[in-house]
Amino acid sequence: MDPINRVLGSLPAELIVTDPDVVARYLTDFRHFRTGAARAVLRPRSTAEVQAIVALCAEHRVPLVPQGGNTSYCAAATPSTDGGELVLSLERLNAVRAIDAANLSLTAEAGCVLSVLQDAADDAGLMLPLDLGSRQSCQLGGALSTNAGGISVLKYGMARDLVLGLEAVLPDGQLLNVLQPLRKNNTGYDVKQVLLGAEGTLGIITAASLKLARKPAQTVTAFLAIDDIAALTTLLARAQTLTGENITSFEYVSHHSLSLLLAAQPGLRHPLETAGPHYVLMEAQSCSPLLGLEEAMAAFLEEAMGEGWVSDGTLANGGQQRDQLWYLREHIPEAEVANGGSLKHDVSVPTSALPAFITRASALVEEQGAGGRLSIYGHVGDGNVHFNVVAPLGAEPAVYKPWFEREVSPRLYDLAVAMGGSFGAEYGIGTVKLDLLDRYGDKAKLSVMRALKAALDPANLMNPGKVVRN
Amino acid sequence: MKILVPVKRVVDYNVKIRVKADGSGVELTNIKMSMNPFDEIAVEEALRLKEAGKATEVVAVSIGPVKTDETIRTALAMGADRGIWVKTEEAGIEPLTVAKLLKAIVASEGPSLVILGKQAIDDDCNQTGQMLAALLGWPQATFASKVVVGDGTVDVTREIDGGLQTLRLALPAVLTTDLRLNEPRYASLPNIMKAKKKPIEEKSAAELGVDLAPRLEILATTEPAGRTGGIKVASAAELVGHLKQAGVL
Repeated sequence: MDPINRVLGSLPAELIVTDPDVVARYLTDFRHFRTGAARAVLRPRSTAEVQAIVALCAEHRVPLVPQGGNTSYCAAATPSTDGGELVLSLERLNAVRAIDAANLSLTAEAGCVLSVLQDAADDAGLMLPLDLGSRQSCQLGGALSTNAGGISVLKYGMARDLVLGLEAVLPDGQLLNVLQPLRKNNTGYDVKQVLLGAEGTLGIITAASLKLARKPAQTVTAFLAIDDIAALTTLLARAQTLTGENITSFEYVSHHSLSLLLAAQPGLRHPLETAGPHYVLMEAQSCSPLLGLEEAMAAFLEEAMGEGWVSDGTLANGGQQRDQLWYLREHIPEAEVANGGSLKHDVSVPTSALPAFITRASALVEEQGAGGRLSIYGHVGDGNVHFNVVAPLGAEPAVYKPWFEREVSPRLYDLAVAMGGSFGAEYGIGTVKLDLLDRYGDKAKLSVMRALKAALDPANLMNPGKVVRN
Repeated sequence: MKILVPVKRVVDYNVKIRVKADGSGVELTNIKMSMNPFDEIAVEEALRLKEAGKATEVVAVSIGPVKTDETIRTALAMGADRGIWVKTEEAGIEPLTVAKLLKAIVASEGPSLVILGKQAIDDDCNQTGQMLAALLGWPQATFASKVVVGDGTVDVTREIDGGLQTLRLALPAVLTTDLRLNEPRYASLPNIMKAKKKPIEEKSAAELGVDLAPRLEILATTEPAGRTGGIKVASAAELVGHLKQAGVL
C-alpha cells in the first residue's frame, strides 16, 4: 500500500474528500497561476483531528498543504503537480472560542472566515481591526500564515501585530499551545512569531487569540484629488497630526486605476467633478463620541485645499456614500481582470519614498517603451504600493505579461530595493516569488530560514516548496 | 419657484440596529447618524430642478434635537440655499406631528413644491408626505421615479404594479421620492466649506403652534427572531415528509 493510502485508511471517512469534482476546488489558486494534483482533501473538525492527521502524515512521510480560503496571491496553498501531497483544509475549524471584552481579545479557530470574526467582535460591541479586500472568503489561519496587511495597517498594524496568542500543530504532531491572550509574556523565544507569516511551512495554525479594538463611534471618509504626488507624504502627516493619530486608512488610487474601473463597470460614477492624476481615499475613526473628529477633518481639508495639496474632494454623507467610495478602491482588481488581468508588483518602500518610487517607476516603464496601462494603488501610510501593469489595448495579455515580467519587472524590483524597499510587501512568497527571494533576500536571513525549516520540519512535509526551496 | 425639502436624521444605513436592553426602543447613544437616504434623493431632485432653471431656491428643513443641524448642513453642502431647524428635546417625532410642523413652515415659506423621501429608513412609516398633502389640501404624487416640471404643473412618473403611471399635478404639490429617481451627488469640498456660512434658522414647535406630545404608545421593541439551523435530508421523500409536516405542502 502506498503511503497516501495508509494515511487515508487510518483516518475516519468523514474527514476525507476524494470526489474529484470537489477536490478540484482546492487545487487551483485564486489567481490561476498553478493547478496542482491531490488524491484527497482532509477536512478535520478539531485541533485534535489536525494533530492526528499531522502525526499520521509524519509517520508515513506524506506532505501536507494547509489551505484556508484559498485566496493566496502567490499560490501558497496550492499542492504540487505530482499528486504526492494531501490538502489539509482548515475550513471546519470555524468556532469562535472566546471573546473577552474587558481584555479586548478574541480567540478563534483557523477556519473562521475573517468577516465572521469581524461580525462576532461587532456583536460584542468591539471591532476586529484586521481588514482586507478578501474578508468574505479568506480565513484566519491563512491571514496569519501570510501575515496579511490590508486597509487598516496604518493604525492597527499587520496581522502579526494583532496576535496575542497562538495554537498550532507542529510538524512532529506536537501541539504548540501559547494561546493565552496576553499582551506581555516575555518567557523565552516568542515561538509563535516564527509561524506567523510562515505560509504553513513550519506547522499548522489551528487557533489564535487576537487583539480587538473599541468600535468607532465616528467615521469620516474623504476622497481627494491630488495634482502633485509629492504632496502625499505631507498630506498624510498633516491628517494624522490634526486628527490626533486617528487616520485608519490612507489609500492611494491612480487616475489610471479609477479609469479602468469606471470603464469596466459603467454603472459607477466618478465621485469628483474634476479628475486628477492621483486620488486618496482616507478615513478617520475614533471610538470617542466626544472628540471633534469631523471638525478636525474639516480643518485638515481646509488647510489642504488652501495649500494646494488637494485640488478637489468630497466627504461621504453617510454609510451609503462611504460604501460607494470604498467600492471604488476595492474593485480595482476586478477592473484589471476585466482587462485581461494585471502583472502585479507588491512592493514597499519607506513611506517617505513612496511618491518618488511611483514617479520613478512610472517613468521607468515609459522609458522601456513597455506601453502598458499602469494601475497603481496602495496603502500610502504603509509605504506599500501595488504597481500593477495591464496589457495595452490591442496587445494579447498572455503574451504581454510574461514579456513585461521578464524585461521590465526586474528593473522595478531593483528600483524598489535601491530605494530601501522590498519586492514583497504583503502577499508573501508562496511558490511564485521564490526567485525574487533568492535574488534579493539577505544571505544570512535565508540561511536562518533554512535552518528553522530543517529544525522544525526535517522531513519537509509542511507545505513543501513554499517560501523555502525543496 | 421655491422648493422645500424636509430631511430626517436617522441611524446611518451602515449601522447594525440594536434594541435597547430594556426593550424601550432602538439604541441611539453613540451611534452614527446620517441623512435618510430617500431624503438625499429629495435634496438631489430639488437641486437638479434649480440647476435646470425650474426653481429659484431650495430650503432644507429638519426637526429634531441637538446635532440635527448636522443633517441640514449636509443638505446645504449638497447645494441647498438655507436651512430651517425645528429644535425639539427628543428625536422620533411622530409623522402626523411632523406633517403639522411642516404645514406651519409651508405657510410661512410659501413653496410651490415640497419634496420628501417616501419613507425614513428608521421607522419605515411612509406617512409624512401623504399627511402633509392632506393637511395642506394639495395634490400629492408619491414614489416618484421621474419628475418633470411644466408651467404651473408637474408630471410625475411612478413605478406601479405592471408598469409606469404618470400623473399631472397642479402646483403647489407634495412629492415623495422613490429610490430610482436619481443618484444623490457627492458634496464637493468647496461646497462643504461654503455650506458652513449658509444660514440655518432655528424655530420651536411652540412658535409654530404644534403640540409635540406623542399620540402613539410603543408597547415593545424586539429583535427579529434568529435563524434556526437547517437539517440535511437523505432523500426527496424525506424532504416532502418534512415539508408536509411544516404545513407548506
